[in-house]
Formats: sequence, C-alpha cells, structure tokens
Amino acid sequence: MRKTIRATINGQARDLAVKPNQTLLDLLRDDLRLRGTVEGCSVGVCGSCTVLLDGEPVSSCLVLASNAEHRQVTTIEGLAQKGELSRVQKAFLEHQAFQCGYCTRGMIMAVEGLLREYAAPTEDEIRDYLSGNICRCGTYAEVLAAVQSVIRSTRESPVS
Amino acid sequence: MMAVGVSVPRVDGPAKVSGTAQYTADIELPGLLYARVLRSPYPHARVLRVDSSRAEHLPGVVALTRDDLHDVHPYYGSLYRDQPIVAVDKVRHVGDVVAAVAAEERDVAEEALDLIEVDYEPLPAVFDPLEAMRPDAPLVHESPPDPASHFHAPGGFRYQGGNVLTVFHVAQGDVAAGFRDADEVFDDTYTCPVIQHGHIEPHAAIAYWEASGKLVIYTASQNPSVVRDQLAEMFHLPAALVRLVVPFVGGGYGAKVHPRLEPLVACLARKAARPVQLVLTREEVFYTAVRHAAVVKIRTGVKRDGTLVARTVETVYDKGAYASTGPFTTKNGGTVSGGPYRIPHQDLTAYCVYTNKPPACPFRGFGVPQVSWAYEQQMDVIARRLGLDPVELRLKNLLREGDAFVTDEPVSSFGLDRCVEQVAAAIGWDGPRAIPTAVPAVVRGKGVACAMKTTMTPSNSAASVQLHADGSAVLLTSSVEIGQGARTSLAQVVAEVLGIPVEWVVVSAPDTDVTPYDQSTNSSRTAFSMGHAAQQAAGQIRARLLELAARSLEARPDDLDLADGAAYVRGAPEQRRTIRQLFQEHFGLPVGNLFGSYDFQTSGGVDPVTGKGKSSAFFFLAACAAEVEVDTETGKVRVVNIATAVDAGKALNPRQCDLQNEGSMLMGLGSALFEELVFDNGQPVNGTFLDYMLPSMEDYPRQFRSLLVETPHPDGPFGAKGMGESAITAVAPAIANAVANALGGARVADMPIRPDRVLDAIRRHQESQA
Repeated sequence: MRKTIRATINGQARDLAVKPNQTLLDLLRDDLRLRGTVEGCSVGVCGSCTVLLDGEPVSSCLVLASNAEHRQVTTIEGLAQKGELSRVQKAFLEHQAFQCGYCTRGMIMAVEGLLREYAAPTEDEIRDYLSGNICRCGTYAEVLAAVQSVIRSTRESPVS
Repeated sequence: MMAVGVSVPRVDGPAKVSGTAQYTADIELPGLLYARVLRSPYPHARVLRVDSSRAEHLPGVVALTRDDLHDVHPYYGSLYRDQPIVAVDKVRHVGDVVAAVAAEERDVAEEALDLIEVDYEPLPAVFDPLEAMRPDAPLVHESPPDPASHFHAPGGFRYQGGNVLTVFHVAQGDVAAGFRDADEVFDDTYTCPVIQHGHIEPHAAIAYWEASGKLVIYTASQNPSVVRDQLAEMFHLPAALVRLVVPFVGGGYGAKVHPRLEPLVACLARKAARPVQLVLTREEVFYTAVRHAAVVKIRTGVKRDGTLVARTVETVYDKGAYASTGPFTTKNGGTVSGGPYRIPHQDLTAYCVYTNKPPACPFRGFGVPQVSWAYEQQMDVIARRLGLDPVELRLKNLLREGDAFVTDEPVSSFGLDRCVEQVAAAIGWDGPRAIPTAVPAVVRGKGVACAMKTTMTPSNSAASVQLHADGSAVLLTSSVEIGQGARTSLAQVVAEVLGIPVEWVVVSAPDTDVTPYDQSTNSSRTAFSMGHAAQQAAGQIRARLLELAARSLEARPDDLDLADGAAYVRGAPEQRRTIRQLFQEHFGLPVGNLFGSYDFQTSGGVDPVTGKGKSSAFFFLAACAAEVEVDTETGKVRVVNIATAVDAGKALNPRQCDLQNEGSMLMGLGSALFEELVFDNGQPVNGTFLDYMLPSMEDYPRQFRSLLVETPHPDGPFGAKGMGESAITAVAPAIANAVANALGGARVADMPIRPDRVLDAIRRHQESQA
C-alpha cells in the first residue's frame, strides 16, 4: 500500500512511507506533523497550503506526496535559520501583513517563490504572482508593502 | 497616552509569521477520531429511514443518527431551537445534516458515509423569500419553532408564523401625511443575493468527554461562552461541566458565531467515548453559513430642495432553513433601513423568512449592507432627479449629534458628517458626472455613500486581570482573536491603565474554565465592551497600587501616576515605588497577585412591538467614496480609487483600525462586483473556491485610503467604539453610485454589478432617454 520515497524536507533528507493517493499537504500535516501548512479550499485556488517544491511555490493540496520523491520541500517551518526569521517573514511582521494569520503561511511561501523567480518584480508582477493567494481579511496592501520593502533592502544590501 | 492610540506591533505576529500559531485543526489528542457528515441531496424532504448498521460494521466506525438523540435536546439555536443536530423528521436544504460518522482514518470515515442508507420522500420546496411569504407556499417548518429557553442574543422582534419567522417594525410621524407633503416621490426595489463569508479556515471542532462527565471542546468559535451555555442545555449539564477552548481562529466574519459543529462533535464523541475531530470541506462550508439575501422596497418623499420628508421601507431577508440569529439580523437591518437621516415620517418593516436554502447567519454588517445598498442608491436617484449634488444632499439630511433616531433615542458620538466630507475630499469629489477617458468606450465616475449600524444591545462582557509582582499582567478574557487584533488592543488598554509596557501584558485565549463570560466576538463589540471591562478591571488594580504607593510615599493617591512599572509623584518622578516594591511592602515578600475583575453590561434594547427604545450602545458610522472605470462594451467595472472613513470613537491602535477598514472595504468591493452564491433548485452551483470568486490582490484598488474619524464615546475605553464592520455598509452602494454616475444615471439595482447587468442597465437607460 505505502511506498517509500526519499525527499528533502526543510533541508533534511527523509525516507517517507507515502500512500498512493496521499497529497503532499496530508503528508506534511498528518505524517510529519508540520501543521504550519494549512488547507483552505482543497482545489488549489486559495493558496493557503503553498509550499516550495524545488524552490517553486505549489499548492500542496494538489501535489501527490509521491511526487516529492528526490525533491526539496520547504514549508513555513523551514524558513527561519537558527531561530532567525527569513527576510520575508521579518517584512511581514514589520508591515503587519497579516490579520487572522491563516493564509499568511501560504502567502509568505508564495512571496519566497516570487523573490526566487524575480529579482525586482514590478507591482503588476507582484499582484499577478500573488493573485492565487487569497486573504479574506483583505491585507493585500500590507503584503504588497512587505514584498516591496524586501526588494528595496535586497537592492541595497544583497544577500547571497 | 503611552499605549493607547499607538500602532504597537501585534502580539500575535511572531506566532503567525513563523507558522506556529495553532488553529483548531492543528490540535492533536491521543485516540482522535475523524468525523465526516452525510448531507441531504434534497432541498426539502421527509426522512423516512436512516440505517447506519452497515457503516458501523466497518472496524472502528461510530455513526450518529436521529436514533442517538433520545437523551439530549435534539434541536439547537440561539433564538429559536429549530436546527436538529442530525435530521429528525425532515431535511430542509441541500447539504442539511442527515447523519455523521467517526473513524480512525479519514478514508474509512468517507467509506462509512457511503454505507449509510437513507430513504427520502421529496417535498415541494421554496427558494424565493417573496414566494415563501405566500399563504400557499410549502412550509419549511410545519410547527412554530421552540424559543430558546433564554435568548442568547437580544430580542426586539415578533414571531409571525408560517414561513415568516419574525417581523420587526418601527415608525414615526404620519407617513401618509408626509407623502402628501412631498413634492416628489421615489419608488424603487433593490436586491442582494446570497453571499458567503469565505473565511479561509473552514469550520473545525474537536470534542471529548472526561470520565467525570465533563464535556471539553476545542473549536473555531466566535462566542465560546454562549455556545457553552447552549451545549449545557442540550446535554442537561451544569454550564461549569462544559469547557470550550478557542485557539486562533482563521477568519469568521460572523460565520463562526453560535453553535455550528459543536453539538454534532459532542454527540459523536459521547457515543465513541473518544475524542472526535470534525473539519469541514470547503463545499460543506457553503452549506453551513451564508449571508441573508434580501429584497428591499423603498419609497421616499422629498421636497424640491432635497429635504427628506417621508420614507417607507419593506425589507425581506432570506433566512434559509434555520433561524440562527436571523430575527436579530432582521431587527438590526430593519432599525436602520431608513438610513442615517432626519426623516420626520418613517415606517420601516423587516421580515425574516424561511426558505429551503442553507441557513443565513451573522455576516459582517449584520443585515445593514442589504438596506444601505437600497437607501444609498436611492439617495443618488433623488439627487439626480432634483439636480442636487449627492454629497450636499446627504449632508443636508444627515442626523447630527443629539438628534432623535427613529427609535426615539438620541444619537451620540455621531461624526458621520465628517466621514462624508473626508471621503469626498479624499477622491477629489467633483460631482456626479461621467468622466471620459482616452478609450472612447471606457468612462469613469465617482460615487459616495454613507451608513449607520447598531451593535448588539444589551450585551455582557466580563474581564479579569491579574498583576504579578514583577509588574507583568494577564488579562483573562473570552474575546476571540479572529484576526482583528483583539489580543493586541486589549493588551494596550490594560498596559495604559497599569502604566506598564504592552509587552508585559498577556491576553489569554478563551477557555471557559478560566475566562469569564463574554457575549460574543461579533457586532464589533470587543474594543468597546471587552475594552471597557478590561479598563475597569485593570482600573481596580491601579487604584490599589496608587493607594499602596500613597501610603509608602506619604502622598495623596490623586497626586500619583503609574508609568514604566512604577508609581511616582506627578511632577517629582524621582519619588517612586516600583510595582515589586509595592508588592514587597504589601505582602511582606515580592510575590503574589493583585486582582481586578469587572462585568460590563450594556443596557437598552427595543420594544418588540413598537421598535422603540435604545437600539444600540453605540453607533457604527461609515462613509465611502469610490471612483470606477466602466467599459461600456464589456460591462466590466474596475474600482480605481476608493476611500472609506469610519468613526472609531478613539482608535486604540490606528494601524489595526486601518487594517479592519481595509478588510471591510475589500469585502464590500467583492460583494458589489462579483460575489454571489448561485442556486439551481436549492443546490449551490458555485460552492467551491474555483467558482465562488473572492477578491484577490488583482482586485485590490490601486488607490485606497482608510480615514479614521474620532468622536469619543463616553462608555468606550478611552472613547473607543467598534469599527470593523463599519466600512462594508457604505462600500457597495458607493461603487454602485459611481457606476451610475459614469453611465449618466444608468443603474444596477441588483447586487452584484455583473457585466451583463451593466450592459442591460445601459440599454434600458438608452431606451428610456430615446
């Protein structure tokens, strides 16, 4: 029934027994107890379950767990390094780019993906890229400001 | 002030951006079972047979049917107990709960659902609330609903009978005489569809029973105290033997007020004798709570100079299948359906009507966005016909501080005129004209609207504060952190009173074993009511500290103040005692606690027959101005610039108020332009996020301004009142008015302003001008 795959979860190589119909979201939440990734719509449109697969944002509710084989999965729990929040997380804090917080993890992961893909996205590009992450609390202006602040600070002091 | 009125960072920020904030579905308990619900495929049917025996043959499966309800009260509801835990005799909407199962694995639970056998006898159904009011309409409930043993929300409405659950009515003056006196009379009808809250966290709850017979529930609820009381009633338990714990809640906007999943999981957990978790799928959320659709018929008489003289409004709210708080929503919307205007002759009626659709529940704005959609559009119709400026027309007729409202109560903390003036200025209001653009088919227009809303009155909130010897403090409160920033703003209130840094205050999550009663985290009442209770509770400790310091410093308490965790003599700050020193002197050791607790009850309520009385502990006031772009070839509307102004009394945390304003604006924008739950024979046809559109970042207007007016309220903490629901009441009509102004008066009276409706309005307008 279960098949063992090897995947890198938040930087750690893991051997994982996955069910054929198991989604990556269920693998993360149920088997790995990584509850920071949450389900919103189960059809891949709200973005709250966004994680990075080899650096690219995906809706983990639509990805089969077995598709993570030999790939790198990064979740919200994997962003902080040695207890220090990522620059995106810090910017979300600073700009208060959250309210209820439920979509926030997926939104942060999508922004991480955006900034891997684009060095300096324009406002139009940011809006387009993040339009698949729904915040019903309506905190979009703050998210936009947080992203733009990361872009500015990266331009001023680039990180490797 | 040091802590209040300052945009301090949110206390829940680190948990939320790190991904460690815990929501209900994240909680793990040993032996947890997963529940699934069997739902009705029929909008209305008699349930002839429910047999779960085959399902229960699956290993570890527990099933709940109507046969398991013999020793509990099978129906629940905050006003009327008309909603069964699982179907008893009938199902009343597609998606109604028929039975439920729990199993160790989710897929086993899913499999078990398929094995439950149900025989239905389909019955004629009614979906349109106006049809449901006819005497020959099928009855959604055959017998009068059972009033809750004590109403868990204030009344002010009358039971009617048939499908008309309740009616609210209030009047003043002599309407017939008023209309005779008018130079012009306007008759219009406006409608609003069913929309859904769209909280991204689905409803979720976990229940288990302790060996002592105590029921424990973790739930994404907006009002744990009230749900606790209703569960106690249901299971014939003392309230103290029901414990509700509320982790972080991922949005609610009203959908998580009052029992939703709790009765069902409690019954399943009791039968299974194990903890049971139920998390709804998105499709199920659309069956569980929606916003009332409404039809608003409005007739207004005016003088040629724009003075409003008479108005009758008849609002019909589509209740769906179960009462929930619909009668109260109806009262709330009905009370303000004449608008925030001085109108000497008014007659306002609102009906709450059952249909075979999912139950309508509290929704941000609580019945007001439906009526403001009507009266604020009609204000612009009036202005256009009389050749008056819409902003001037509103300012001319607005209620002002101290004026009598239709309920006969004087209005106070009423800065609505400033809200209107500020939004108009913010978008550069220059009249109701069509503004050409570089593209011939695209026109722009600007529109304004304003509205008022009442809050749940009377209501009760209690708070308890513990001060530790090191000067840090805990606020025990049942207010729910649902995204609005309750924990932060309440911490600010306590910090301000005790003169300690905000970071020294911890605000508890609700846990009814330890946190005192709170009516509800709804009606934007937390800042006002819980804020008041917290201020008074902390105030008791403040008084004790000043008394102790006065003795120690040989000064009068009146000459002392608190700051930075110490008491000091005003004007001589070197004469001071830290809180620790005061504890040392008081207790003999630097240990212990000082306690304060306060129970805040707002008074008032309106008479169920006359509608007169004190409708609200405070008034929500909002104005919105919008500039839109309309493509006259495609009918597409885009909001290019929008401003909302609300009277916050006193903004405890201005940034947080801006965020609430922003969220309210965007929700209003979604409802104005595209949100609509569409039904086919009672079946929602777009009940997923693939099909039901929520505003995304691409819909967010390029320009938005949140404006905060502050007219302090005497009962609010530091003058604060609720504001999270204010803006949504004014946004949709402002957008509608902007569209009409862009189109030279062509108007879409039915929400949402879909492209096909825009094109239709243009065509009809051209025909009428020809």
